[in-house]
Amino acid sequence: MQAYVRGMRLLSQLCGFVAAGLIAAGVLVVCHMVFVRYVLNYNTIWQTDFTTYCLIAATFVGSPYVLMTRGHVNVDILPHYSGPRTRYWLAVGAAITTLVFAVVLAVLTAEFWWQAWSEKWVSDTMWRARLWIPYSSMPIGLTLLTLQGLAELFELVSGRAKPFGVPDAEHLE
Amino acid sequence: MSPTTQGLLVLVVTLAMLLSGVPVAFGLGVISIVFLIFFQGFDALRVVAETFYAGLNDFTLVSIPMFVMMGAAIGSSPAGKDLYEALDRWLYRLPGGLVISNLGACAIFAALTGSSPACCAAIGKMGIPEMRRRGYPDDVATGSICAGGTLGILIPPSITFILYGIATETSIGRLFLAGVMPGLMLTGLFMVWTLFIIWKRGFRAHAPDFRYRWKEKFQSIPKIAPFLAIIVGVMYVLYGGVATPSEAAGVGAALCVLCAVLIYRMWSPTKWWQILRDTTRESIMILTIIAAAVLFGYMLTSLYLTQTLAQSIADMHVNRWVLMALINLFLLVCGFFIPPAAIILMTSPILLPIITAAGFDPVWFGVIVTINMEVGLIHPPVGLNIYIVQAIAPDVPVTRVMWGTIPYVLCMFLAIVILCVFPEIATWLPDTLMGPVKTK
Repeated sequence: MQAYVRGMRLLSQLCGFVAAGLIAAGVLVVCHMVFVRYVLNYNTIWQTDFTTYCLIAATFVGSPYVLMTRGHVNVDILPHYSGPRTRYWLAVGAAITTLVFAVVLAVLTAEFWWQAWSEKWVSDTMWRARLWIPYSSMPIGLTLLTLQGLAELFELVSGRAKPFGVPDAEHLE
Repeated sequence: MSPTTQGLLVLVVTLAMLLSGVPVAFGLGVISIVFLIFFQGFDALRVVAETFYAGLNDFTLVSIPMFVMMGAAIGSSPAGKDLYEALDRWLYRLPGGLVISNLGACAIFAALTGSSPACCAAIGKMGIPEMRRRGYPDDVATGSICAGGTLGILIPPSITFILYGIATETSIGRLFLAGVMPGLMLTGLFMVWTLFIIWKRGFRAHAPDFRYRWKEKFQSIPKIAPFLAIIVGVMYVLYGGVATPSEAAGVGAALCVLCAVLIYRMWSPTKWWQILRDTTRESIMILTIIAAAVLFGYMLTSLYLTQTLAQSIADMHVNRWVLMALINLFLLVCGFFIPPAAIILMTSPILLPIITAAGFDPVWFGVIVTINMEVGLIHPPVGLNIYIVQAIAPDVPVTRVMWGTIPYVLCMFLAIVILCVFPEIATWLPDTLMGPVKTK
């Protein structure tokens, strides 16, 4: 199981790089679009869609990295002010909720992707992009989120990770 | 089950879920899915993926990572330190000049980064030790920086305004403009209070026994001038209607990264990764909440909860200012516990029909919401800025920092009252530069 956790850490880190690359690509394409539209005075066709898709893909693919680095914001008042035992169960509850969300949405978005693939959906913009391509980032990202969520839950249950990253002594009862 | 009972059930479950420490985005997502299944059956799941995707499929959202990147580039460079030094060199002879330098630097840095924590950390790192070294009381030194940091979400460009604009379909350019004068007014109120309290406690801000030479004063300008020029350029492009917010933000982000790299010689890939990593983490966090909030909004609307709430408030026939006071109280309490992005995305679509029906301007209301969110940033129990400042000055007890922020919270309440009496402070600039809002 430790090998799985280590492997997931590497994979989630890789997801972080991919998401950062997609956001950087989005910035560059917006600059290119501004140059083409306002300096060369040409029409732009693909740039708006491409940047939006990059951002959507970054959101889903980068999600496991953000989960691993505790970047998904939460309200931690109750965990902070509760004792170690309550805090542990709250953390387990939070991890299970994250898993439920990821699994349900992974299944639903996979169905959505399959529809786009089998019915050859294209965007209703001038670019006529094949929608299965941007849609594929959803099941991929959410499956990876599920796997990272499992790793987080395992770390928590096995006692290798502190609930909400708070040391046992740090609470006010 | 009546819509009112359903609404109460959703409210209680949502609060319990959010307070339990579940990541906000995932909590909202699960609640939406569970309630859709509970009240409408498994058939309702067919639209979940599409709704979640549609929440992100909007070119306006591109401006969020771009503005975040602008802030990350400036925040990871020593630009904050240079800005602080420049203001200090020019203003150090004035009585209370240090206070004006600090709060002024916060206001300008707010315009550069659009982020309250970044603003607080960047200016606080120089400002707090310097104020304490010159004998300012600890609570004033820490409290003023906590408060100054909150200006990040009010003075444009502001992610909070972008989120409000997206959630309520209000013009983002108009919201940005509406934030300028209230932002300056709040900066002024913070300055007046700080100067008053240090005067009342018998502290006189003496000019130090040295003088900066004119050469030193002018030397401080070239490093920060390009960043200020980019911000002015972005604002001009936005308000002049030359480009969309996403285009302006995209070019602004690229230029800010370029300036940070060239001016501060940030050649190391580690620095570049730091900018990209911070941008990625914050953007994905916000965008996931947006997608989940859209799903949550869909659930509320399809169960007729939004409409029922708006109708029942309209049926109460309360005075519009009593209504506004209640809404402020509600936002304030939410702000004590829940992050601003989540509050705005969850509540704005619900509150908008209520406040427009009561005859309030949505742009003006955007400013009011943002000031309420600012209070949450410096008010316990969450008060993110308090903990950032406490990390900068760990020897100052957190309770002392909290007491130091209370007068600034009152300044914000005063600003809300002034804005209620004189809404033109927010609406005059957008109406003058962009023309009055066309009513449908």
